[in-house]
Amino acid sequence: MRSGPSGMSAPCSVNDMFIDVHVHPAFYEPINGDGCRERMRHETLGIHKNGTAKLEHIFNQMRLAGLDALFLLAQDYCVAEGVVPVTNDEVKQLVDLAPDRFMGFAGVDPHDPGANDKLERAFGDLGLQGLNLHPGRQRFYPMDSCAQRLYDICEAYNRPVMFHAGMSWEPNTLSRYGRPVEFEELAATRPGLRFCLSGFGWPWVEEAAMVMVKYPNVYADTGILHFDSAREFLKRLFTHELAATWVDRSLRHQVMFGSDNPRFEQIRMARMLDQLGLRESTVELIKGSNALEFLNGLE
Amino acid sequence: MIDTTTRTFLTSEYNQFVNITDLVSGAVAESGVREGAVTVISKHTTTGITTNEALECLESDIHEFLAKLIPEDHPYAHARVLKDYGSTAGNPTGHLKSLLMGNHAHFIIRDGEVDKGGAQEIYFCEFDGPSERTIIIQVMGE
Repeated sequence: MRSGPSGMSAPCSVNDMFIDVHVHPAFYEPINGDGCRERMRHETLGIHKNGTAKLEHIFNQMRLAGLDALFLLAQDYCVAEGVVPVTNDEVKQLVDLAPDRFMGFAGVDPHDPGANDKLERAFGDLGLQGLNLHPGRQRFYPMDSCAQRLYDICEAYNRPVMFHAGMSWEPNTLSRYGRPVEFEELAATRPGLRFCLSGFGWPWVEEAAMVMVKYPNVYADTGILHFDSAREFLKRLFTHELAATWVDRSLRHQVMFGSDNPRFEQIRMARMLDQLGLRESTVELIKGSNALEFLNGLE
Repeated sequence: MIDTTTRTFLTSEYNQFVNITDLVSGAVAESGVREGAVTVISKHTTTGITTNEALECLESDIHEFLAKLIPEDHPYAHARVLKDYGSTAGNPTGHLKSLLMGNHAHFIIRDGEVDKGGAQEIYFCEFDGPSERTIIIQVMGE
């Protein structure tokens, strides 16, 4: 079997890394040896007919998107649904397979009495680099007491939080828990906690922009493609729902590229960043610099 | 006799021509059929199977030709979230290119070999890669 020529991307330095901060590895082949778990993942996440992905395929996808690294997010719904679609140990397993390309985020369910210990272990023993929470699925508001101790641990370890904000396609989700305005008090009371509102908290995009422009510790990612093509939807997001100038002038240090893959299309979304009419320096921030700052801390 | 096999492989590009002539010839040889026919079929809807001359310049021309007929930035109705997949259908161009290219090729087997012209090679056409793809090769004869 022979193939036509293909262009490999050249290696890059840390400064020009392109990072996808929002990737769910639920269907990566190395963690899908058990058919029962794979079926549970399809049902719990509401993603079907996609099969499992060999790491070689993931790397091909990254190369075509121009991506250097991915944040892999664990998902723990042990109280909300009685299952853990992607455990912290599975994320750690994947990170160990490609430590130069994968950065692991822990998942815990805030209503789980063991959540604090799980998170301490994820940061302390497994070396995971952030926390992933889904208020709409796990049924908590960002300021609820069940989540406060988790934020304490994140601050103690200097680890950021990725919140699934706004609409979610997952079953049994309620968007109101992840409405951006619900995060304002968290941003105000914990200025040392960096957190991201995935998908700009769509459809409350202006609300997300309001919280972000007030609080530099609040980030948003681009992981939304609820209608139309990547070209059409992201163009609309960055030119109608948000003025391009808002991002280019005021929010440029707080927006990160995220795809919410495999829900949405990583390659086409990544390619759109260069076509939004933003300054080149802003695009560079969105592609990687902001993600590194989100991960490592504000200067 | 009828001998049916499947082959699964990864494609590495968004649009890609993969020369599968050796795969098909190998399946014919393994079947032991001396006189008959072979069919190769793609199991997918955003791929194609075709026959052409395996030249880099032609691959480029065919890619450009298809891209002009089926541009990426057209407002396709298929660009939307499919609820039964739970994910975006961002691949209308792949479906339309597949429509033009067809999903199979037939060849006659003579003296135990695929009887094809000197310039003919068999291509698996990827139009929504990278992906894992499966083809079926069926050899019929005696």
